[in-house]
Amino acid sequence: MKNTATLELRGISKAYANGKQVLSDLSYTLAAGEYVAIMGESGVGKSTLLNLIAGLDTPDTGEIWVDGVALSAKDDEAATSLRRRHFGFVFQAFHVLPHLTLLQNVALPLLLNDLPLDRAQQMLVAVGLQGREQDFPRHLSGGELQRVAIARALVHRPRLILADEPTGNLDPDTAQEILQLMRSEIKANGAAGIIVTHSQAAAATADRILLLSKTGLQPLISHQHV
Amino acid sequence: MYKLVSLLFLWLTSLGMLVAAPPVYTPVTPRALVFPEDLGAHENFRIEWWYVTGWLEAPDQQPLGFQVTFFRPTTEHAEDNPSRFAPKRLIIGHAALSDPAVGKLLHAEKSAREGFGLAYAKAGNSAVKLDDWYFIREADGRYRTYAAGDNFVLELSFTPTQPLMLQDLDGFSRKGPKSEQASYYYSEPHLQVSGTVTRDNRAIPVKGSAWLDHEWSSEYLDPNAEGWDWTGINLDDGSALMAFQIRGKDGKKIWAYAGLRDPSGRMTIFQPDEVSFHPVRTWRSPHTDAVYPVVMRIKTRDIEWKLEPLLDDQELDARQSTGAVYWEGAVTVTRDGQPAGRGYLELTGYDKALSM
Amino acid sequence: MNHSLLSRWLLLGEWQAHRLQIVVALIAIALGIAMGFSIHLINTTAVNEFSAAVKSLSGQSDFQVRATQPTFDEMLYPVLAQHESVAVASPMLEIQAAIPAKLEDDRNNTLKILGIDVYRAITITPDLVGVPAEGRAFDMLSDDAIFLSPAAMEWLEVEQGDKLSLRLGTQTVTLRVAGGLVRAHAGQRIAVMDIGAAQWRFDHVGLLSRIDLKLKQGVNHPAFKAALEEELPAQYLVTETVDQERRIHNMSRAYRINLNVLALVALFTGTFLVLSTQVLSTLRRRPHFALLRVLGLTRNQILLQILREGSLIGIVGSLLGLGLGYAFAATALHVYGGDLGGGFFPEIKPAIQLRPLAALLFFVLGVSVTMLGSLMPAWEAAQAHPASALKSGSEETALAKLRTPWPALICLLLAAILTQLPPVVELPLFGYFAVALLLIGGIAWMPSLTALFFSGLFRIFNRLTAGALTTLVLARLANAPQQAAIALGGVLVSFSLMVAMAIMVASFRISVEDWLTHILPADIYVRTVVRQDALGFTPQEQQAIAATAGIERIDFIRSLQITLDSARPTVTLIARPIDQADPGHTLPMTDNALSPTEIPLDAIPIWVSEAMVDLYDYQVGKRVALPLSEAQQDYIVAGVWRDYGRQFGAIQMQLSDYQKLTGEWHVNETALWLQAGVAPEEIIAALKALPFGESLTFWQPNAIRAISLKIFDRSFAVTYLLELIAVGVGLLGVAASFSAQALRRVKEFGMLRHIGVTRGQIYRMLALEGGLLAGFGIIIGFLLGGSISLILIFIVNPQSFHWTMELHPPWQWLLIMALTMLMAAAVTALLAGRRAVSGNVIRAVKEDW
Repeated sequence: MKNTATLELRGISKAYANGKQVLSDLSYTLAAGEYVAIMGESGVGKSTLLNLIAGLDTPDTGEIWVDGVALSAKDDEAATSLRRRHFGFVFQAFHVLPHLTLLQNVALPLLLNDLPLDRAQQMLVAVGLQGREQDFPRHLSGGELQRVAIARALVHRPRLILADEPTGNLDPDTAQEILQLMRSEIKANGAAGIIVTHSQAAAATADRILLLSKTGLQPLISHQHV
Repeated sequence: MYKLVSLLFLWLTSLGMLVAAPPVYTPVTPRALVFPEDLGAHENFRIEWWYVTGWLEAPDQQPLGFQVTFFRPTTEHAEDNPSRFAPKRLIIGHAALSDPAVGKLLHAEKSAREGFGLAYAKAGNSAVKLDDWYFIREADGRYRTYAAGDNFVLELSFTPTQPLMLQDLDGFSRKGPKSEQASYYYSEPHLQVSGTVTRDNRAIPVKGSAWLDHEWSSEYLDPNAEGWDWTGINLDDGSALMAFQIRGKDGKKIWAYAGLRDPSGRMTIFQPDEVSFHPVRTWRSPHTDAVYPVVMRIKTRDIEWKLEPLLDDQELDARQSTGAVYWEGAVTVTRDGQPAGRGYLELTGYDKALSM
Repeated sequence: MNHSLLSRWLLLGEWQAHRLQIVVALIAIALGIAMGFSIHLINTTAVNEFSAAVKSLSGQSDFQVRATQPTFDEMLYPVLAQHESVAVASPMLEIQAAIPAKLEDDRNNTLKILGIDVYRAITITPDLVGVPAEGRAFDMLSDDAIFLSPAAMEWLEVEQGDKLSLRLGTQTVTLRVAGGLVRAHAGQRIAVMDIGAAQWRFDHVGLLSRIDLKLKQGVNHPAFKAALEEELPAQYLVTETVDQERRIHNMSRAYRINLNVLALVALFTGTFLVLSTQVLSTLRRRPHFALLRVLGLTRNQILLQILREGSLIGIVGSLLGLGLGYAFAATALHVYGGDLGGGFFPEIKPAIQLRPLAALLFFVLGVSVTMLGSLMPAWEAAQAHPASALKSGSEETALAKLRTPWPALICLLLAAILTQLPPVVELPLFGYFAVALLLIGGIAWMPSLTALFFSGLFRIFNRLTAGALTTLVLARLANAPQQAAIALGGVLVSFSLMVAMAIMVASFRISVEDWLTHILPADIYVRTVVRQDALGFTPQEQQAIAATAGIERIDFIRSLQITLDSARPTVTLIARPIDQADPGHTLPMTDNALSPTEIPLDAIPIWVSEAMVDLYDYQVGKRVALPLSEAQQDYIVAGVWRDYGRQFGAIQMQLSDYQKLTGEWHVNETALWLQAGVAPEEIIAALKALPFGESLTFWQPNAIRAISLKIFDRSFAVTYLLELIAVGVGLLGVAASFSAQALRRVKEFGMLRHIGVTRGQIYRMLALEGGLLAGFGIIIGFLLGGSISLILIFIVNPQSFHWTMELHPPWQWLLIMALTMLMAAAVTALLAGRRAVSGNVIRAVKEDW
């Protein structure tokens, strides 16, 4: 099964700098193409978990395997290149570079991975922003910005999309639209996805919902989305 | 010796104006020379020189030619300038050494204003000093001279063997058709030379025979003169010959003179129409492109002299200092085809006229 | 390929979005480099030209023999010429003759004429041999001919063949321009004529100024020098020609180094501005770099990207600076001359030369300074934790380290210690270090000081329940002061320098004014056209002047240059009647003096300038020797007076003593006090009617004062200019950082607008913020600038120019500067904020950049 697992967490523990233990002996395996939502109370360590997976932080104990490769955040170079190639990110605050056009923003991962740039255009079309390629982010609404972020997260065909409250800054209608888009694009690109959210509605768009608590990561509802 | 005349020319024309108290030059008029006074300097004349040329023999070496000249020009600097530095009179020295082994003339020159005991030409007796250069007549009539260049030093003494040879009219020597174109001029031929020539820091003892000219004047050349040819020869039989011609701008003779003194002291004077110079062979200077008649035939009445140079390249380029380029060289002489003596030939005015 | 494309995108995007900041950074670098480079160019050009000119004057000589007095008996010449070790001795007479046509302008109206013996000079100083007209070879010996350098011909507007009138003392000499000195150094004003003619025409018969010696080969130079010094009487100085150059260097060294330091300060200011713009810009982009890190850019790639941007700015800015500096130097050389009005190289009008090596050096300096400015924040940005850096507001944490005040306090302490150290090789190096440390310490202290100050202010105002706006402003300043402090650094540096210079220059100027009043007590001063040594008023002429009706009192003054140390510039000796009972009547005395009863009978009293104490250790009460007479004579230093006119030293003595010692009866200058009711014009008219009246110049004290102050202002003009530029750049820096921050605060403003704060109130808030910050910067700048001015006045000036002055802060002018600066900062903050406030309110709340 290791071969098909996109992500494997083995006994992850992490404490904050102030000593508060947030994750202890957490294990989980994410299969390829699986799209899960992680919910949980504030401060339970959802974002920390995402940072650990992204290689932006190091677990105190335990191992993280991505696509059969052990992620060692101590080797920043290796973690960075893994992140660059296999991960896509969607943030609550969008994080689009303000001085680049939409097309340039979406093309960033292609550039970083030395891939042909034409897919950026396709992705913009896919997220419904055709004709806006040369616009700058300041001309866009929040929903539109998040579409750009989704296009950017998927443009280089990553194995895993990490989304941290992607709809936290959006009104419910837009949020629903974005969640559907994200799901369909993740599926269309054959990627796996982890969405961290407080929102039931958002979580509901995932294949499965996991609850992060002090005791670990448990399936909340087995929910089959067709 | 005539070389400075061209330079004087430039100078005379340059000083026509604005002179506070121009010096008044003594005119040259026929008079009897008085010795020893006339051996010394005559500072009221515009130009004066002592000029020694000769041939030197060194052990196991080819003969050398040498020339030492001290000029004493009077400038037009104001006579009433009380400064000790006032350049009223200058002392200029030229020295040259002709060595066939070198293939060209070695020469040195030096100039200074008279004053401070550093440079002078004294009256009353031949006594000229120019820093470490000098030309002095001792009480017994012997001369001593010293001249040093970058690559040679001459330290020579000259012992007279014959009386003074007063040129032309008892030392009044005409240089042109006008009566004021003249100089006072005596020679001292057949001087017996001894001393050393230093080359490459090596002093070589030398012996030989030399010719001294002492001449002073205030007005010399005809304005139409282009140059002159001059020679002074010590003849093997004890005779002495001096001859010159002044050439005009058209190349023709303006004036000429020759004086031949036999061993007994009898002087034969040749008038201008009795003296003629005929170039036999010319040499083109690789330095200046001037063409000189280095082999010259001279006719004095019925005698024919032929002058052959010790070496062709005896050109002296002093354009940097005095503006003159001339040929001044040791020559051997035949009289009517027979070897007759040795002397010096001076050819001036060929650089500009002939190089065109 | 793709990475370079990325890097280009980032670069262009950033630059298009922040044109103002880029422009400010470019200007800051360009000006810093321009100032440094131009002053370097001016200094090296002037010094090189001057020493080359001097070299061509001394030529190939091995030694020069001079006397302690300007001229000496020519009979030394044959002695040296015939010295066994000497190959050539070349005598020379130097004459400074006045140009009657140029008398309007009191400075630089003299022509240096060298009388030479062409036959001696040609081997040693061939550059000094004139080139006569074709066919006039002997003009070099003529008694009426003068040869002029091309610069002199141009200056005098004469050509070959023209007449030239010159004046020396009371005589006029007319000479014929016989030709040029083709090999004279470019820009060098000089004339050559025959030495005999010069002695005669300029009435120096029997006198020489110097003899150049060329030694024979193989002569040991030090041994020769020692032997000759032994042989010659004491008043002769034998200097190796190499020393000559050193002496010239010494002459202008203090001035040049001070200018160089000024340039360095400018460069430092520029550097600091670059640093602060780069720091702020990198900080602002911290979240962007974090995002790129998340997306997969490595630390090194981030670092490289920032450095690449910095180096590009550095390259463009430095190139601009080099061009600007060159243009500035060329203009300054053209307008002020090589010494920027300092009066050190009067005979030289140098043309600027491009120095590729110096240009390269300054270019590298500019680029590396910019890179350094980017490197520190780049390093921080690359090392930052991307996840936390992504969150907005994380910049202050990045700057938290700056809050520690210790490095700043150490700098300040060190500065205080350095002020106590003595000069190094006669230069106030430690003083300059102290200034630099004060600046660095002041800047480094700003963050913690700002926090301390504003949180204190916040607490006070909170208790007083100030208006909401004030509270908001103070809260912000108290809590996020680091960026503000960095922005303030630019204001601080430029303002404190301006304050320092203003206090120093004002103190100097007032001291000079007081001094001028003190040293010019008479009603009229009469001089011959040029104060030539040995020449001036003869006793007969003195009597004629004294006999003029309407004169209450008359003082004759004799001044001349003497050499006490051949490696130093000459010292001015001034002989005049001095009130021995109270020299303070005649001289601007410092407190340092002997009482009249302490002066021994066997020693002649002299009063020396402050420079003499520093340079020659002429302490009060010390017995010294002066080269005035053959006979042994003791002199005693009876007092010290202040002299701003001659930084190389001056000595005053009683005219009667001088005349007794030297038997020299000429005087150069006459001071006249008029009887009551006599108008100066009457006396001037009467004196002009004297036989030598034509050659007299008359000065009334107010005219001298006006001219002196004009010269003073001119020599500080460049300083003013540099300061103004520095302040301008400082303000630009403030504008750039305020506008950057205001843009980042779009969200905050949006929120405020949401809760009902009007646009006008936000403007007021911005202005208040800017004003408060700038006001604080100005106060600190005042303190810092004041301290620096104290260092300049009490350490740098005495140590480099050997004069002291009194502190006279120009309060009014300082206040105006402070208010202007305050207004400018407030307006800048307001203008910068406008853009942020005018945006869409709803959008502002939602967006996060």
